[in-house]
Amino acid sequence: MVSSTLTDAEREASHGVPSISCRSVCSGYLGSEVLKDISFEITAPSVYVVLGPNGAGKTTLFRTIAGILSPSRGTVVIGGTPGDGQTARDRMHYLSHLDGLPDGLTVREALDFYARAVQATEADIDRVLDELQIRELSLRYPGQLSAGQRKRVSIARIFLQQRDIYLLDEPTANLDPKVAKEIRSLILELSRDKIVLYSSHNLYEAREIGRHVIVIKEGRLAIFDRIENLRASRFRLGVRLLNPSDSLEGWPKEGEYFVRELGGPEEVQGVLHDLDVRGVRVREAREMDNPLEDIFA
Amino acid sequence: MAAVGALTVFTSDRTKGVLEYLMAYGVSPRRLFANFLVAALAAISIVVVIAIGVGVGAYLAVGNHVSTSLLLLLVGYAIPMSYVSGSFAITVGMYWSALSSPREGIGTTIGLAPIFGILPPVATLVLIGVFGATTGITTNGFLLVTGAALALIGLIVLYLLANLGHLLRRERLLSSS
Repeated sequence: MVSSTLTDAEREASHGVPSISCRSVCSGYLGSEVLKDISFEITAPSVYVVLGPNGAGKTTLFRTIAGILSPSRGTVVIGGTPGDGQTARDRMHYLSHLDGLPDGLTVREALDFYARAVQATEADIDRVLDELQIRELSLRYPGQLSAGQRKRVSIARIFLQQRDIYLLDEPTANLDPKVAKEIRSLILELSRDKIVLYSSHNLYEAREIGRHVIVIKEGRLAIFDRIENLRASRFRLGVRLLNPSDSLEGWPKEGEYFVRELGGPEEVQGVLHDLDVRGVRVREAREMDNPLEDIFA
Repeated sequence: MAAVGALTVFTSDRTKGVLEYLMAYGVSPRRLFANFLVAALAAISIVVVIAIGVGVGAYLAVGNHVSTSLLLLLVGYAIPMSYVSGSFAITVGMYWSALSSPREGIGTTIGLAPIFGILPPVATLVLIGVFGATTGITTNGFLLVTGAALALIGLIVLYLLANLGHLLRRERLLSSS
C-alpha cells in the first residue's frame, strides 16, 4: 500500500481530519471490474490530483470512495469507519461530472433540495449564494444557465456544509479556460485544509493545483506521489524572441519557440542570463514539456 | 397520467445525476423508489379527486342520482384501481427506466408508462368479463375478482420494492452519460 508522505507541518495539520484508506479495492459495474486491487492511504489534508486516460477508472474510484458503488473486493475506510456507512458519508462531499440540477427547480429551490439532504439551513444557502456569486441566478431554471453558471451552482451544493473530504470528479471539464480558472480558485479557496481528491484530464491544471498525484492506469494504481517527485525524463526550455525574425544559433525551432534541452529547471536562470549577456531580447520563456505527460506514456 | 409525471422526474433525475448525488448522501435506492411512489400517489390523489369530481358532478348535473351501483364502481373499482395501477406503473416504470439505456421516442420508459398503468385495469375488466360470461356477474363476484386483482397487483408492487436490493444493482441508477 502506498501512502501520502507527511511533513511535520502536514502531520500537525492533519490532526482530527479523517483519512481515506483503500485496501485492495476492486470495483466496477454489473460484474465487470474497472478498479483492480487499488490500495492507498491518504492521511494529510492536501489536494490530490487523480489522473488517468479516459476509461482508466477515475470516476469509478470516486464513486467507490463516495459509497455509491460497493467494492466487489477490498474495503474503503473513511476516518476509521466503513466507507459505505452514514458516518463516512457525512464526512464527504462528492461532485460528479454531472451538474445534478433537477429539472423544474430554480437555482434557489435546487439548493434548498440538496440542503435538506445534508441538513443545511436557509442561512447556509444564502451564504453559498453570496460566496459563489450566484445570487442573481437564484430564480433561474437550469435551462436558463450557461455551462459555467450551471457548474458554479453545482459546486455551490458541496459548500452548503463544511466537510473534511471533497471528491471532485472533473469539476472544470467542458468549461472555457477563464471559467475553469475561476472555479479552480474557488474550490481551492473554499476547501483549504481539507482532503481534496480532484480528477482532471488537464496536466497543466493538475500541476497548478495539486501537491500529490494519483495515477490510475487500466484500473490499477500506477503512481501515488508528490508532484515534485515526478521527474520529467527531460527538461526542454522554449524561448520566444522579441523580434520574430531573429534566430538563436544551436537552438532548433519548434513553432515560435527556440528549444534547448537542459539538465533540469535549475539551469534555466543561467541560460537566460547568458542570452541576456549576448543581447538576445527574450519575449517569453517556458518549459516545453509537462513532466506529468510522461505518466501517460 | 400521474405516474407518468413522477416517472418523467425519475428518469430526468437519473440522467442528470441527481440520483447519484442522493445516493452519495446516503439515500438508499429503496428509499428513492419509495419516495417517487409516494409522490406518484399524491399526484394520483389530485387526478382522482378532479376526475371523480368532474365526472360525478356532470353525471348528477344531467339529472341522475348517486346509485348503489355507482358507489360500488367508484369505491370497489375506480378509486382503488387508480392507486394500485398507478403504483404498478411507477414501480415497473422505474425498474424499466433503470434497466434501459436512455433513448428517444415511443420506446422510452415514459412512452411505455401509460401501458404499464392501463394494463392492470384492462386485465381486471377482461377477468370480470370472462367471469361474468361464465358464471353470470353478481356483486359478490365483481368484488371478488376486483379484490383479487387489486391484491395481486399490490403484492407485485410490494415485492418489487422489498426486493429492490436483490433485483436491481445500485449502478443501474447512475447516469450512463
